[in-house]
Amino acid sequence: MAETALKKRSPFIEFVSKATSSAGLTIIFTIIIAIVATVVAGPFTLLNAIVTGGMWALLAAGLSLVFGVMNLVNFAHGEFFMIGGLTAYYVFTPISAYLKENPSPFLTALAPFAGIIAATIVGALVGIVLEKLVFYQLRKRTKEQWVMNSFLLTVGISVIIINGVQIIWGTNYKGITSYWDAKPLEVLGVFISVDRIVVFGIAMVTMAIFWYFLQRTTTGRAIRAVSQDETGAQMVGIDLNRIQVLTLALSSALAAMAGASLLFMFPSYPTVGLKPLYIAWYVVILVGLGNVAGALVGGFIVALLQTLTGYFIGVTWDDVIPTAFVMLILLIRPSGLFGSEVKGVHEQ
Amino acid sequence: MTQNSSVKYTYEEQEPIERIKRLAKKFGISPVGLLSLVILLILPFIPPFNQEHLLRWLVGAALIAAQTIAFDFTTGYINVVNFGFAAFLGVGGYTSALLAVNFGISPWIGIFLGVIPSAVLGFLTGILTLRLRGIFAALMSWFVGLALLGLTRNLTELTRGPLGLNAPTFLETASNRPYFYIIVAMMMVTYLTLRWITNAHYGLAFRAIGQNIDAARASGINPTYYRVFNFTLQCAFAGWLGGFYAHYYGILTPALMATSHTVEVLAISYVGGRGSIWGGAFTAFPFVFLIEFLRSNLTELPGLHLILYGLLLILVMIFYPGGVAQVYDTIRDRITNRSPQNQSAAAD
Amino acid sequence: MLKVSEIDAGYGFLQVLWGVSLEVHEGEFVALVGPNGAGKSTTLRTIAGLIEPMAGEISINGDPIGGMPANLVIKEKGISYISESLNLFSDMSVEENLLLGAYTIRDKAQQKESLAFVYDLFHRLAERKSQLAGTLSGGERKMLAIARGIMSNPDLLLVDEPSLGLAPNLTHDVFQALLKLRDQGVTILLVEQNVNTTLHITDRGYVIEKGQIIMEGASKKLLNNKHVQAAYLGI
Ligand SMILES: Nc1ncnc2c1ncn2[C@@H]1O[C@H](COP(=O)(O)OP(=O)(O)OP(=O)(O)O)[C@@H](O)[C@H]1O
Ligand SMILES: [Mg+2]
Repeated sequence: MAETALKKRSPFIEFVSKATSSAGLTIIFTIIIAIVATVVAGPFTLLNAIVTGGMWALLAAGLSLVFGVMNLVNFAHGEFFMIGGLTAYYVFTPISAYLKENPSPFLTALAPFAGIIAATIVGALVGIVLEKLVFYQLRKRTKEQWVMNSFLLTVGISVIIINGVQIIWGTNYKGITSYWDAKPLEVLGVFISVDRIVVFGIAMVTMAIFWYFLQRTTTGRAIRAVSQDETGAQMVGIDLNRIQVLTLALSSALAAMAGASLLFMFPSYPTVGLKPLYIAWYVVILVGLGNVAGALVGGFIVALLQTLTGYFIGVTWDDVIPTAFVMLILLIRPSGLFGSEVKGVHEQ
Repeated sequence: MTQNSSVKYTYEEQEPIERIKRLAKKFGISPVGLLSLVILLILPFIPPFNQEHLLRWLVGAALIAAQTIAFDFTTGYINVVNFGFAAFLGVGGYTSALLAVNFGISPWIGIFLGVIPSAVLGFLTGILTLRLRGIFAALMSWFVGLALLGLTRNLTELTRGPLGLNAPTFLETASNRPYFYIIVAMMMVTYLTLRWITNAHYGLAFRAIGQNIDAARASGINPTYYRVFNFTLQCAFAGWLGGFYAHYYGILTPALMATSHTVEVLAISYVGGRGSIWGGAFTAFPFVFLIEFLRSNLTELPGLHLILYGLLLILVMIFYPGGVAQVYDTIRDRITNRSPQNQSAAAD
Repeated sequence: MLKVSEIDAGYGFLQVLWGVSLEVHEGEFVALVGPNGAGKSTTLRTIAGLIEPMAGEISINGDPIGGMPANLVIKEKGISYISESLNLFSDMSVEENLLLGAYTIRDKAQQKESLAFVYDLFHRLAERKSQLAGTLSGGERKMLAIARGIMSNPDLLLVDEPSLGLAPNLTHDVFQALLKLRDQGVTILLVEQNVNTTLHITDRGYVIEKGQIIMEGASKKLLNNKHVQAAYLGI
């Protein structure tokens, strides 16, 4: 399919796709844009893009992992983000209130981590429950048209989670102004809050651990094996059920962690997940599936596009332009800028 | 199963009754279907349905029913979920409303003019999604929908954005009954047209493409033509129905184009039974009534009806993928004692 | 050690195997031959646990394993299956593929030992350790699949058409490797199109046609059988 499609391309599209074909070019291009943006709009734009970009990468990495391993297009991924924010809010705010009464600088510095870690755990648990309760049930019954059917299940799950949360916790925004009350630090001549710096650190460390886990550990290798050849994986003794549970748990944990970490920017409310969801998809489509390092670059590109659109055109447009851009990419390079064809892009 | 129904008939001399039967079959009219239609048509005069608020529910249900017919024409046949469906509805609605507001064009003409941009955008989306298979086509159409939604929200000078655009109604009357007959007529036109097309050789080609695009291509079916044709027609009908929405409710907001609206249509259409065309429409009436009932009686639990959507979608997908249409098939076969091999599409 | 009795198996509603029975004893090298579509691969897949039998029983050393999922068949019963399509992990290196072959062995030292053993058996693979499996040549891919299959130190090896698509000299190499394994004490059930060679190197053979075993016996005897000669050896 890919070959025949390639042959039919017009010379112009051929040229465009060649020009965008290498990962290197993309990165250079991004860096140039970033520098221009910094000069024109000020370094704040860049820093902003870096902070959110790291989190978009976490979201995208999970989304793409689940697709690669389980062939699952997860429409409910944004809901894990929402659940993460919600958990962090309900864990962090009481602790924070308690610490106001009984000040302790040490605990105050650690309290936000309690919220974020709790969110990550809750995210993983929700993922496990969903796999056992929903996806496993479908898989057990039929594998026919799995991609489409499981996608519809995630649509149902998304609707249930959103409205369930709405009924129980209401529609009001649950947010915090900041995790750490410390003075902003000066970076590149602009003041940047401690929250943003720590969140950026969390994203980088998590991505590094995640990458190491997938590449260097036996279980990580097994996860990749399942994504490359399910039958082959079974033949070497890998328990598919276990890997599938683990993968969904990991992916939802990452999304929840992102939601918790960004609570100071995205207060939690029932439908907050929609935007992170499609942004994660944008990243995945930009860099192609199953590409952890690529997710990082893609996350920055999308975040940069957003902040630039917000700055130059208007905040309300900050998803219209990236949407158009991603549609263009999907059109000229269905396998993403980094162009590795991964199973499932073209359904069997 | 359905494929053979139109092929079986040879054009030898037949009784007039046979000829009528054949014609009915061509348009997907069955005795049960006819009876349902008659009941539907006299319903507005039967208490309690003659009350205005129940009539309003009836109109809403018929509108959703008509949408599920158009939706299933694509999902159930070429196996591509148009996840931006609601946006095309909005395009038709906004066009017709804007023509009425700015140029004084009668809604009766406007709803037909609204078809044009919807169809054109559908045509373009069809081309855009052509090279993408299954789920990625769904994502692409979702992005198109998001982009259209974003545009509608942002072009406030034209659409007034979230403030809402007031559109003149079809009629002066405050009664819902005439509207009910308008929308039922529109629903029937949608149904008859799409059934007629799917019962002709087009239906076969659509299904072939939906099942295996490469095999279809190998057997001489041109997927480009059929997929784009299918998309265009679906979006044209969506635009038309959007026009009704505008001139019935009298106000349009971008919320009409939101993903959640597509999910609603999708859920009912799937619960109704994929590839049946009538299943979703049939299901829409009890479903919308149940949901409206819940909504008006459980105001302290907003969103409960949506949870129901999600739950039903999941349960049907896992345990009974054939949906209501299959229930009907099974019952009918039991009654007429036909062997399962001979069963054809339910509404034949 | 392996006993398959009266199994029916297939795909969905399509039944392919009709009461297939066969037996492989410890240390034996057994062939399963038959025309295309006879159900040879299906038999191996069923033994390996990739397909659940509809009826009948499969047992290893007396323990029934019918219906046990594939990952447990390899892990607990020491059966390794090398499929026709190889099922390699194409985006991983040769070494990663091999290490995954030893997935059921958690002992690092034992893994190393297995690795050394297969590198010794297939020098080519040692030279191409870090090459991606997807970029190997057809012959190298076959070797990798066999090597991955024996990484888990199996007692019983199920091999499906290892010579498919290989040049004669490579086919020879593959058969030599199998013989070497047999000499090391591995029990082998081999499915082959290359009936002549197969019956020359194996101890015993089964002939399967249309999903049913129609003949069994010592390989030498089968070579002299009229039906086998006419149908498979072109004599
Ligand atoms: N995954 C599958 N789904 C449905 N039918 C299958 C599947 N795999 C094999 N079959 C059918 O089962 C029958 C037996 O196939 P099998 O692969 O076991 O044959 P074989 O003896 O290995 O043939 P060959 O020598 O060509 O490899 C064939 O008719 C085939 O079409
Ligand atoms: Mg075979």
